[in-house]
Amino acid sequence: MRDPYSVLGVSQNASDDEVKKAYRELARKYHPDNYQNNPLADLAEEKMKEINEAYDTITKQRSGGYSGSSPGGYGGYQQRSYSSGDPAYARIRNLINMGDLNQAEQLLYEVGQKNGEWYFLSGSIAYRKGWMDEAMQNYVRAVQMEPNNMEYRQALSVMQRGTMGGYRPAGYTTGMDAMDCCTTMMCLNCLCGGGRC
Amino acid sequence: MFGYVRPFRPELKCKDFDLYRATYCGLCRCLRRRYGLIAPMLLNFDFTFLALLLWEPEEGFTPCRGRCHANPLRKLPMCPDSPALELAADESVILAWWKLRDGVQDEGPVKGLPARALSLLLRPAYRKAARRCSAFDGMVRDCLAELSALEREGCPSLDRTADTFARLLQSAAPREGERGRVLAQLLYHLGRWIYLADARDDLEEDRQSGRYNPVAARYGPAGDDGALRLTMDNSLAQMGAALQLGDFGCRTALLENIVYLGLPLVERAVFDGTWRHIKKQKIWRNDT
Repeated sequence: MRDPYSVLGVSQNASDDEVKKAYRELARKYHPDNYQNNPLADLAEEKMKEINEAYDTITKQRSGGYSGSSPGGYGGYQQRSYSSGDPAYARIRNLINMGDLNQAEQLLYEVGQKNGEWYFLSGSIAYRKGWMDEAMQNYVRAVQMEPNNMEYRQALSVMQRGTMGGYRPAGYTTGMDAMDCCTTMMCLNCLCGGGRC
Repeated sequence: MFGYVRPFRPELKCKDFDLYRATYCGLCRCLRRRYGLIAPMLLNFDFTFLALLLWEPEEGFTPCRGRCHANPLRKLPMCPDSPALELAADESVILAWWKLRDGVQDEGPVKGLPARALSLLLRPAYRKAARRCSAFDGMVRDCLAELSALEREGCPSLDRTADTFARLLQSAAPREGERGRVLAQLLYHLGRWIYLADARDDLEEDRQSGRYNPVAARYGPAGDDGALRLTMDNSLAQMGAALQLGDFGCRTALLENIVYLGLPLVERAVFDGTWRHIKKQKIWRNDT
């Protein structure tokens, strides 16, 4: 296993607070909410596991063997699982989770009746493929057909947030709203202007 | 390519600005050394970003000094040749060549003359590059052919047309291991975003000349800026999520600046029309 301090990116003599802060920042970064239905979700899960282990190891060492658990409820990395009444849909969900999109798509087209779940699953497949426009349309349809389904509404609201949701490192939270066009020009004109460097 | 992928300079640290510029100049030098004197004209910001992505994370930033192609009297810090720069250089030659061929076919015998002349000039460089990266060459050819077929039939799906260019750019990075998966996801959405930004930028022009435009085909002749922006933002969000999973060493801060600040600002400029002025600015005449 890698050195737990380097996993969290802090030095050996960092204070407890610094360790905790670094841990929280990383946990925010790899939080499952940021990787819902993302083809790279498994990589994020591994990272999350790694930082959880590192944090546990450090707290254990520092408290003399006492086994603490990760703070803030970041302990488990579980994709929220929803069950499906229809066995065909359950199989399709499974295929999507495994990343076998072609097979999932094929099975979905064999289902005759299109209900809310059909559109939701069709949207999930599109989302995974990166076909965001189609994903959005399908999620909208799913929510229209079953407005009370939290799963569909949640998927739609993630997309409606655009770049405002998800993780951004400190310092990259947008603050450029009040910029006029001349400033924009100067800012993007990245090599010339601004004098010699 | 198009020059959409730029850093946001005011938020760059000096060392990251130096890194960016040395990479840009290094790519120019690499193009010249590998493909001769006309190749630096293919230099652009998008492939500079690609080179930054492709760099091995362990490799530090150690610039050498070299003569500027635009002004040989000046010596500038530039990144020495490296596998990342070489791959980016090969791929810019290949993509430029196929885009020119595309132009020759689209424009007809008279209007396509400049493109034809240029492609003749570029032919030796292209053949060399195609030998070096035959897989990318094949992918570009196939994707662009697929794209022009979709354009001919007036495909109403935004995702389907954007997908061709997205897959093209995706194939620019080797697909090995975890790193390959992260880069593939990042580049897919970058390609999608670039394609959509370009389509939005051409909307007015295409409307006047009656050409196919994917944004018009999807949303009607006036477009739908709100919906288009949202779908582009979704791609940006996917890029950010992918970026966080990769290891980019000393280039991380610069890449984050481009993805989280540069691209959204370019997007805004494309939507409010100021992009036309920004993109025209000559970029390789530094500090004259």
